[in-house]
Amino acid sequence: MDRRTVLKGLAGAGSLALTGGLSAPAIAQGAAARTLRFVPQANLANFDPIWGTQYVVRNAAAMVWDTLYGIDSSFQPQRQMVESEEVTDDGTTWTFKLRPGLKFHDGEPVLSKDVVASLTRWAARDPMGLMIKALQQELTAVDDRTFKWVLKQPFPKMLYALGKNNSPCAFIMPERIAQTDPFKQISEYVGSGPLKFAKSEWVPGAKAVFEKFADYSPRLEKSSWLAGGKQVMVDRVEWVIMPDPATAAAALQNGEIDWWENPIADLVPVLKKNKNISVDIGDPLGNIGSFRMNFLYPPFNDVKARRAVLMALSQEDYMRAIVGDDNSLWKPLPGYFTPDTPLYTEVGGEILKGKRDLDAAKKLLAESGYSGQPVTCLVAQDQPITKAMGDVTADLLKKLGMNVDFVATDWGTVGSRRAQKTPPGQGGWNMFHTWHAGADCVNPAPYTAIRANGDKAWFGWPTSAGTEKEVASWFEGKNLDEEKAAIGRLNKAAIDDVVYAPTGFFLSYTAWRKNVSGVTKGPLPLFWGVSKSA
Amino acid sequence: MLSYILRRIVATLPVMAIVALFVFSLLYIAPGDPAVVIAGDQASPEDVERIRQSLGLDRPFLVQFGSWVWRILHGDLGTSIFTNLPVSAMIGQRLGPTLSLMIVTLLLTIVVAVPLGVVAAWKAGSLIDRVIMGFAVFGFSLPVFVVGYMLAYIFALELEWLPVQGYTPLTQGFLPWLENLILPSIALGCVYIALVARITRAAMLEVLQQDYIRTAKAKGLGQGGILFIHALKNAAVPIVTVIGIGIALLIGGAVVTESVFAIPGLGRLTIDAILRRDYPVIQGIVLLFSFVYVLVNLMIDVTYTLVDPRIRY
Repeated sequence: MDRRTVLKGLAGAGSLALTGGLSAPAIAQGAAARTLRFVPQANLANFDPIWGTQYVVRNAAAMVWDTLYGIDSSFQPQRQMVESEEVTDDGTTWTFKLRPGLKFHDGEPVLSKDVVASLTRWAARDPMGLMIKALQQELTAVDDRTFKWVLKQPFPKMLYALGKNNSPCAFIMPERIAQTDPFKQISEYVGSGPLKFAKSEWVPGAKAVFEKFADYSPRLEKSSWLAGGKQVMVDRVEWVIMPDPATAAAALQNGEIDWWENPIADLVPVLKKNKNISVDIGDPLGNIGSFRMNFLYPPFNDVKARRAVLMALSQEDYMRAIVGDDNSLWKPLPGYFTPDTPLYTEVGGEILKGKRDLDAAKKLLAESGYSGQPVTCLVAQDQPITKAMGDVTADLLKKLGMNVDFVATDWGTVGSRRAQKTPPGQGGWNMFHTWHAGADCVNPAPYTAIRANGDKAWFGWPTSAGTEKEVASWFEGKNLDEEKAAIGRLNKAAIDDVVYAPTGFFLSYTAWRKNVSGVTKGPLPLFWGVSKSA
Repeated sequence: MLSYILRRIVATLPVMAIVALFVFSLLYIAPGDPAVVIAGDQASPEDVERIRQSLGLDRPFLVQFGSWVWRILHGDLGTSIFTNLPVSAMIGQRLGPTLSLMIVTLLLTIVVAVPLGVVAAWKAGSLIDRVIMGFAVFGFSLPVFVVGYMLAYIFALELEWLPVQGYTPLTQGFLPWLENLILPSIALGCVYIALVARITRAAMLEVLQQDYIRTAKAKGLGQGGILFIHALKNAAVPIVTVIGIGIALLIGGAVVTESVFAIPGLGRLTIDAILRRDYPVIQGIVLLFSFVYVLVNLMIDVTYTLVDPRIRY
């Protein structure tokens, strides 16, 4: 009997046995209804959304700090802390005016100087921020509510950059906090958003508490992702860290928690059977599975070897290994961009479609000059997604006749080893597995993994002049049609050069008790509009 | 005795120094990099390098070790790389749940395992003995997480008597505190109970064959008096030793138990710190655990003099 079987049995049995709410919580019923207990995807180990860019930090930070703009569910930046903006005809000078009445959690008003300091710190760490910084002439506070960003050249994606939900977001902090070196962690958590962080109750690895900020001034529009009126309906949001999925499933069934962000696929069927629990897709933008091949060393320094792998791989095998038999949870992905988003394209994706041709792939591999040298394949065993993909890849490479050096290790080790540029036999590598949040793959702005500028590119250091040219074309795009055309060309160029191997698109569920209402789909868990009855 | 205790305490210093050097060296050569975890998946190699520099991880081994030792000598365990909180404060936050879990487990073990072992020895070869030893083998064989899940299913989900997870501090009441600890303590205690019961049985079997036991029986002394006053006291040295050694088992088992029952203790802190390569936290915890272990050994040695007057230091 393995751990997975036991936990599945436990959760399954629990779903049949339970009718809900027992083991009396320590807090009274009224207070309980005002407290939302949430199990996040991971531990909140630090709380500086600029210094630490993990998604869990971004998710918590989105409650505590507000942004100037917010991307809505149609991927459009909407005004959030900003009341109005003006841009000169030549597109180089942006003037922004803040909404009146904005306050930080210490009661101080949000001023332009705070915004300038916050944007300066953000721009030092964010890929889009770095692009703006490179064009920057000056960023200054004009008066308490007005600030100006003067550029040397136009940057059409300015509002998108300020409102994007990819980490790091351009969160607005008080000047004294935002003046912290962007490569050092802040130690004060005074926010500008709808919930306050209760630092005194923070037990990293166990609990984080957020309290409603009474002086927050929400916008009047309906909320949509990070845009619109962020109306908080509960007094407290308690994040309870539960490393064990079976425990989280049992606690949800038992009424000890209200909302579980990311139940594992194995446990979803039993949660669905429980009449007190709602289960639905959490993030409609899902994830893109991937493995990257090292462009610096044989065999994958030859495009023929990379194409051979792409030609042979079955995305269905990868996706079934990750999500099981639930067909609603995955899609084939003959490209690099998130399905069902405005820029999605399959242009150039033929090599990933249709019946897999192992013989042709073997022939192409032989043409690349591959002669049986070991292929060092890094696979993190402590991440179910990478473990599943690694097993499929090992099988795929063996079928292609490759000599697999399967390095089973943990995510922390993969994280540092993939940065090594030494040859595979000397601490380097040939392949590693990972996945990308679909929210990061809707366009090239936050999409580090698609970049192919050699030494400056993400791990694997792909070089693809065509890809880089089209990334630039997208940034210069003046309307959606131009952007779509650029993305089509980009997708083709990236597939031709195999910047990385996409293994498919997959979704995951979120689960909450039925006395909780207002849970919406989004690229991150959104707590505004969520209420709870006794 | 006092001078012995003082000598032993002084003798722990080189032990702690060796542990410190060993732990620091091991973490230094271990693969993985906290800067990579901090920077996130989308970070550039340059960002990772900047973070590494800001954390001082790019400095030579001896410089890093020297500054760490200097801080330890000043009673400063350092600051967590990830949370930016003092390691001592983080350990302080987690000490209560782990100590509670270990104390309840220890008490449960002594109350259950010692009588079981005594009875098994007394009824050696009988059905009762076999049942008790069968339970001991069962207890040894079952992983903590399996026992934990089973207990949670029966007593939390099925019978609805106890909560599935969590920890309530003692300051919020004895019963709520105990309520959260019962299932984890039983799960963690299973292996320990099995071990102590077997050792008690073996030690008692040896003692029960001694001449003075026969003499006690011949004098017409009651069975209870023979077993628990004469025999058990003489069998106590190996039992006390195993209980002490078992504390190491508890520390290891607490890691899994705390994960299964979502108890915010030191075990979970250890795992989190290792997975993230939070070096100062790992170093602080290992030092604490090694100190506790040395202290427990000292207490065992002192306890020997209480249960066996022939032992003198």
